[in-house]
Amino acid sequence: VADKTPNDLLHGSLDALILKTLAGGPRHGYAIARFIEQGFGDVVVVEEGSLYPALYRMERRGWLEAEWGESDLGRRVKVYRLTRQGRAQLAAETTAWRQFAAGVSKILLAQ
Amino acid sequence: MKKSLRSWLWSVPLEQEVDEELAFHRQMRARERHDAGTDPRVRDTLITIGRKRDREMRLTQWIEDFHKDVGVALRQIRRAPGFTLIAVVTLALGIGANSAIFAVADAVLLKPLPFNDPDRLVMVWEGRTEVERIPANPLNFADWRARNRSFTALAGIVGSGATMTGSDGLPERVAAHAVTTEFFEVLAVRPLAGRTFQAADNHRDADVVVLAEGYWRRRFGADPAVVGRTVPLNNRPFTVIGIVPAHVQLDLPATGTPGAVDLWTVFRIDPDRTLAQRRSHFVQVVGRLKPRVAMDAARADLAAIATDLGREFPGTNAGHGVTIASLHDAIIGSDVRTTTLLVFSVVGVILVICCANVAHLLLSRLSRRSRELAVRSAMGAGRERVIRQLITEMLVLGAGGGLGGLAIGLIILRIAPTVVPSGLIPATIMLAFDSRVAAFCAATACAAAFVCGLFPAWGATSRSPLMAIRNEARTATPAEHTHRRWLVAGEVAAAVILLCGAGLLVRTAMALGNVDAGHGARSALTMVVGAPFNPAGPYGRETSRGQFYEAVEREVESVPGVASVAFGTTLPLGGHWYQQSFEVVGAAPRREADRPAAVYQLVSPSYFEVLEIPVLQGRPFTASDRDGAPQVCVVDEAFVRRFISGRAPIGTRLNVRALAQLPADVEREIVGVVRQVKEQAEETADVPHIYVPLSQNPWWSATLVVRPTGGDPAALAPAVRAAIGRIDKAWVPTLVRTLDDAGRAATSRPRFRAVLVATCAGLSLLLALIGVFGVLAYGVDQRTREFGIRLALGAERREVLRLVLASAGRMIAAGAIAGLMVSALLARTIDTFLFQVEPLDAVTFTVVPALVALAGALAATLPALRAARVDPVVAFRQD
Repeated sequence: VADKTPNDLLHGSLDALILKTLAGGPRHGYAIARFIEQGFGDVVVVEEGSLYPALYRMERRGWLEAEWGESDLGRRVKVYRLTRQGRAQLAAETTAWRQFAAGVSKILLAQ
Repeated sequence: MKKSLRSWLWSVPLEQEVDEELAFHRQMRARERHDAGTDPRVRDTLITIGRKRDREMRLTQWIEDFHKDVGVALRQIRRAPGFTLIAVVTLALGIGANSAIFAVADAVLLKPLPFNDPDRLVMVWEGRTEVERIPANPLNFADWRARNRSFTALAGIVGSGATMTGSDGLPERVAAHAVTTEFFEVLAVRPLAGRTFQAADNHRDADVVVLAEGYWRRRFGADPAVVGRTVPLNNRPFTVIGIVPAHVQLDLPATGTPGAVDLWTVFRIDPDRTLAQRRSHFVQVVGRLKPRVAMDAARADLAAIATDLGREFPGTNAGHGVTIASLHDAIIGSDVRTTTLLVFSVVGVILVICCANVAHLLLSRLSRRSRELAVRSAMGAGRERVIRQLITEMLVLGAGGGLGGLAIGLIILRIAPTVVPSGLIPATIMLAFDSRVAAFCAATACAAAFVCGLFPAWGATSRSPLMAIRNEARTATPAEHTHRRWLVAGEVAAAVILLCGAGLLVRTAMALGNVDAGHGARSALTMVVGAPFNPAGPYGRETSRGQFYEAVEREVESVPGVASVAFGTTLPLGGHWYQQSFEVVGAAPRREADRPAAVYQLVSPSYFEVLEIPVLQGRPFTASDRDGAPQVCVVDEAFVRRFISGRAPIGTRLNVRALAQLPADVEREIVGVVRQVKEQAEETADVPHIYVPLSQNPWWSATLVVRPTGGDPAALAPAVRAAIGRIDKAWVPTLVRTLDDAGRAATSRPRFRAVLVATCAGLSLLLALIGVFGVLAYGVDQRTREFGIRLALGAERREVLRLVLASAGRMIAAGAIAGLMVSALLARTIDTFLFQVEPLDAVTFTVVPALVALAGALAATLPALRAARVDPVVAFRQD
């Protein structure tokens, strides 16, 4: 039996997690990754190969807006913020997740 | 204030953006020892997505800006309704006129003829060295048709009128063409209903007719059941075999009946005709070239046939070649082509002047808005951005002008047919306000808006914001003012060019109107009286036609109010009619093919007296010059000059070809010489005439001339028609008009051109003067303070007046001189439209500058007076 880690399951819900992260305020890419990883108690790693393409795609769709800002250390960084469209998308994803998770749990965790 | 990433993203290259972001991420990872590994493909993925993102954003940004610009533009327009109205109306006038003329130019010059594969359609004529385009002889045509290897089909057309008898028994004249059965095959016509002609129709006993869509709708109420029905045409039963669509019209200049044709009958060429049959020429020939046969090859092919025919029938055909031209060129005569180009260039100039005036308005408006523009610049809008804003404003105005222009163009095209002389635009050409015209209209509107807007916008944004904001007095920079003066001078020049053209054309029209046509009669009613052409009918014999004409003359003479009556084939200024060949008996014999020809007029004895054409020698015809009496004729001055030298004309005998189905020579004695008359007003060389008594060669139709005892000749028309009807209802009078009208019709084209160009020139002068007035008034406005100082320092009001007038004078003089110079260069291009007027006509080139000077002085007076009346005290207080 192959090992199955939480990381493998992360992929499908990454967009929703990014949106939720940014709902708390603008963040740069690395901060988003760390926020999600810590939320999982560091059992997952958000890889740059998944994170940045997702950010760029969502920006293109108009869910996110990016601007240059400064990091805590004074470096120039790209900061992402949620747009109104992004907020609506987050609501939609949350509802969908609630239904999906309820279904999965009900079946998978049935005694 | 944070800069939005959007504007940043465009200044930072995408690669740098991606690299910087990834580098930061990796450094942070490394520092926090969360070794997550790096993916070399990420960079490419991000650049791909980023590129798409940027493209979309740029578009969104552009649309957003445009939205914003349009919003600002609409606000500006609401704020200045007067400016908007004037600008939109000015543009609409220019664009409308241009769109309407484009519709004509497009139909006449650009669009192909409305037939299948129109490039393969040609017209063919017989040609001699001195005359290139002679209608073909029917037998020669038949030989071309049989022997050529270049055409898929070749068809002959004979223009004629016909009489259709209605169900109420009343006859009606219709425009008919008799065509050989290949006609519709040449044009590749698919009928709307029924069929077109086929070879078998040449042998049928029953006569067949094809109706034009227009006539079918008008006369038969578009009833499809008419196909197969029998209609009485020329008092014979004809079967309607088909109906062809409205676009099938071949308006041939030389068929004698310009305008749309109502129906077609079959023109049959009798195969066993005698040699004499090769004498008359009256068939117009159209052909369709075989695929991949060039026109030159077809020309060589037909020329070889013509040479053979010259050998076979040397008497009639020696020296006859062929002329071939594309159908498009044949139908669209040079007169239509050049008139269209003339009118197009004239309205083009009008549009330019309109644009210049709108540019003026915009300049004045922008100098009032200079503070607003400066604030925009100071707020960070780049110069391009401000120019874009201004151009958007112009485009909004242009859109208004374009819509207005579309409406004006539609109205012009709707009115045009009632104003344009009939026959100028061939019936084959269909004028339509279609998508091409709409596209032209839109393009013109955009271009005009751009041209109007760019120049003022450039000027308005070239000042530094600081200067503009500080500048409370709203003064224009000197450079700006110079620009405006150049603009006005240009407008004046354009107006002068149009005025010179108009002057030349008006002088031509006046010269043509005063042409002495050679006859004294002025007030007369005229009409063409024609019998149904039917050799087997009651008027098949010449004597019965002669008796008819005599009976009509007697009957009409007895109508109350009629002073005198005469018959002739055509009227002076009536245009060419038949030319017949002749030879002077006793002169050196010539081959038949080389014989000279003269206009052949058939007239009743009273013709010269009624039209007041003086008899210079001998006598006019009398009632005894009739059928059976000695054959006589009368000639005119040009005839004597050209053909009878060294002997007395009276008593000289001519062999003149008679007008008949089988033409033969008749020996006639000249009994009189009459004064020269003109066939066309613009004729420069006199055309020789032979007059023959109508009763000695009564043809199928003639023109009746009725002079009243007094009053309006047109009022006699109903009584005269009734009188003719009392003799025979089958003869239907057509082309009922007064002699004056006939004369006017002969000069309708030059008069049309003169009126059109003069109207445009007047309009352009008015526009240019508005420009002059605007610039001066604005200049005075700006210099109020300066004038106040001058006056306060003791200058006289007269000097201030002179100052303003001199500035106007320089502007107008520069424009007028430039305009006159260009006119002098361009005058030659309308040489063909001129008659008895030199291209560098002294009168025109004196009157135009005088007129412009006068009008300019008028436009300058008001601003000048205002300048002189400046009150120094008020002027200082202004700031």
